Amino acid sequence: MVLADLGRKINSALADLNKAPVIDEQVLDGMLKDICGALLASDVNVKLVQRLRTNIKAAVNVQEAGAGINKKRLVQKTVMDELCNLVDPGAEPYKPTKGRANVIMMVGLQGAGKTTTCTKLAYHYQRKGWKTALVCSDTFRAGAFDQLKQNATKAKIPYYGSYTETDPVAIAMEGVDKFKAEKFDIIIVDTSGRHKQESELFEEMKQIAAGIEPDSTIFVMDGTIGQAADGQARAFKEAADFGSIIITKMDGHAKGGGAISAVAATQSPIVFIGTGEHLHDLDRFEARPFVRKMLGMGDLSDFVEK
Amino acid sequence: VFGFFKNLTGQREIDAATLEPVLQKMKTHLIDKNVASNISQHLCDSVQSSLLGKKLGTFGSVSTLVKDNMETALKRILTPKTSVDILRDIEQAKARSRAYSITFIGVNGVGKSTNLSKVCFWLLQNNYRVLIAACDTFRSGAVEQLRVHARNLKALQSSHSVGEVELFERGYGKDAAGIAQDAITYANNNDFDVVLIDTAGRMQDNEPLMRSLAKLVAVNNPDKIIFVGEALVGNEAVDQLTKFNQALKDFSGLQNPRHIDGMILTKFDTIDDKVGAALSMTYTTGQPIYFVGTGQTYTDLKNLKVSHVVQSLLKN
Ligand SMILES: Nc1nc2c(ncn2[C@@H]2O[C@H](COP(=O)(O)OP(=O)(O)OP(=O)(O)O)[C@@H](O)[C@H]2O)c(=O)[nH]1
Ligand SMILES: Nc1nc2c(ncn2[C@@H]2O[C@H](COP(=O)(O)OP(=O)(O)OP(=O)(O)O)[C@@H](O)[C@H]2O)c(=O)[nH]1
Ligand SMILES: [Mg+2]
Ligand SMILES: [Mg+2]
Repeated sequence: MVLADLGRKINSALADLNKAPVIDEQVLDGMLKDICGALLASDVNVKLVQRLRTNIKAAVNVQEAGAGINKKRLVQKTVMDELCNLVDPGAEPYKPTKGRANVIMMVGLQGAGKTTTCTKLAYHYQRKGWKTALVCSDTFRAGAFDQLKQNATKAKIPYYGSYTETDPVAIAMEGVDKFKAEKFDIIIVDTSGRHKQESELFEEMKQIAAGIEPDSTIFVMDGTIGQAADGQARAFKEAADFGSIIITKMDGHAKGGGAISAVAATQSPIVFIGTGEHLHDLDRFEARPFVRKMLGMGDLSDFVEK
Repeated sequence: VFGFFKNLTGQREIDAATLEPVLQKMKTHLIDKNVASNISQHLCDSVQSSLLGKKLGTFGSVSTLVKDNMETALKRILTPKTSVDILRDIEQAKARSRAYSITFIGVNGVGKSTNLSKVCFWLLQNNYRVLIAACDTFRSGAVEQLRVHARNLKALQSSHSVGEVELFERGYGKDAAGIAQDAITYANNNDFDVVLIDTAGRMQDNEPLMRSLAKLVAVNNPDKIIFVGEALVGNEAVDQLTKFNQALKDFSGLQNPRHIDGMILTKFDTIDDKVGAALSMTYTTGQPIYFVGTGQTYTDLKNLKVSHVVQSLLKN
């Protein structure tokens, strides 16, 4: 299961806390070492982990905590809060509205899973009764249009693209206009993969966005990404101002910590998780229940709400 | 005279307590450079054991010593232990009138097909006749992607060069191992020098897909098995390589199963100085990085500069 390994390690660190007769500096440090080690091994950003450690230490401050306070409870609550903050930016994701065209633009690094996720997302909305269409504005990658076309055909979703047009802005606008005119509810626009080091590619992304004025931009991220996640996510946020994140390839062993770091870096929520190469391999994501599940805790209201 | 010098240089012995904070910092530093965390730990442990009990001169600092020692270790891991001269191997096969085959394997979306095409470009420049075998029969557009590359590469061929490229494809849904086999036969019968076998991306935990990859390898026994991994990958690098190797071993049904012969490290242009994946991959396999992918065009294929990677890893 997604992040299960990480959850297990954090759980066992918290359980060690319960075994300790008294919670002193040493016990706390031991626990923090385990938790931070687990986070780092899951690709969570180094600076984020350091901050989390500092925050927990400051909040708990075992020496000053009075004898009356249940220290274990305090530590557990603090850890939970910090973990929730890590995955949950508190921002509401975009929700499409009925009765008008909702344009969604997908952006991300090369090979992250944008094209695959476009069709999955379209399929997801289609099954919920929305009239959905796909636009391929990737004029760069070899076979990009064929890929989207074959996926869309499998999912029985109308699509737009071109083998000859080389201007991605032009195609994106044509496609969106066409489907708007045909009264589609949700129009999902696929774009080429790009990275922050190549400013021309970022410029192109800005131009596409300026052309189609998306209602929502989604940053698609590979779940196996490591410490480069933070920098790339920040740059995409700045250039494309995406509203939410989809993490892909979470069907494997990856723990998604790099992608989670992007949440903290951009204050944008994760909305879906990709769990395979097939059409239906897309799961909804909600941060708090997720952290709860990850830590194998049925109900955390005890810790979280107080 | 000697006594005087000895006094001057102090000769403090290095103990664990002195090393601990420096190594802790080094470990975090390496993780920040995207080296897998357990590998960072192993490296620091080995630096510790080589430095414990050593004498430290008055002028030397523990952190310089740790850094120097780490530098040596990094260099050793990254420096290829086997030949990375693929052209020489191709020549040997050619001398025996046999097509040389290279299989590209790896997880989804890392750049297998693109970098296969870059390798093809490089081989064409070296005047070889190359057959590209489209053995990703699963992912949408995979065949068309290679068709476009083959067409582009053909167009790039200058009239005076003898290199040549052709695509061998059998569409979608078919058995990849069989197509690879047919491609190799076709190449041998038609005087091709090299067969580049593209495979579908797969997750290392997906047993049915890993079995079929092992089958492709067992049936065709390619000359080189190249794992394509992206420089963006974090701790997963270790698990990917370990499990791909394990699958080649466990599912091959052979007495002497194959393993990954080397890597191509892609998307090197997307990570600035966070070059740790290069280390994670070479550390995990003990195999060389044949090429580094540095962009999305055919010329963006470079040799790994070990000193450059070591420098980036240690740079603050
Ligand atoms: N296992 C698995 N594979 C996935 C998932 N999402 C995408 N993929 C695979 O990842 C690879 C890359 O996906 P694409 O959709 O082509 O990625 P992209 O971001 O459009 O790539 P570019 O357009 O080249 O930047 C393909 O092999 C997909 O099948 C997922 O959730 N799980
Ligand atoms: N920036 C950069 N992008 C690269 C590099 N190598 C490949 N890419 C891009 O990465 C994306 C995926 O490349 P592919 O060659 O389709 O990857 P793959 O491993 O064959 O993917 P699947 O067959 O779907 O598993 C494409 O957009 C490529 O242009 C590189 O070295 N640098
Ligand atoms: Mg795409
Ligand atoms: Mg491919």
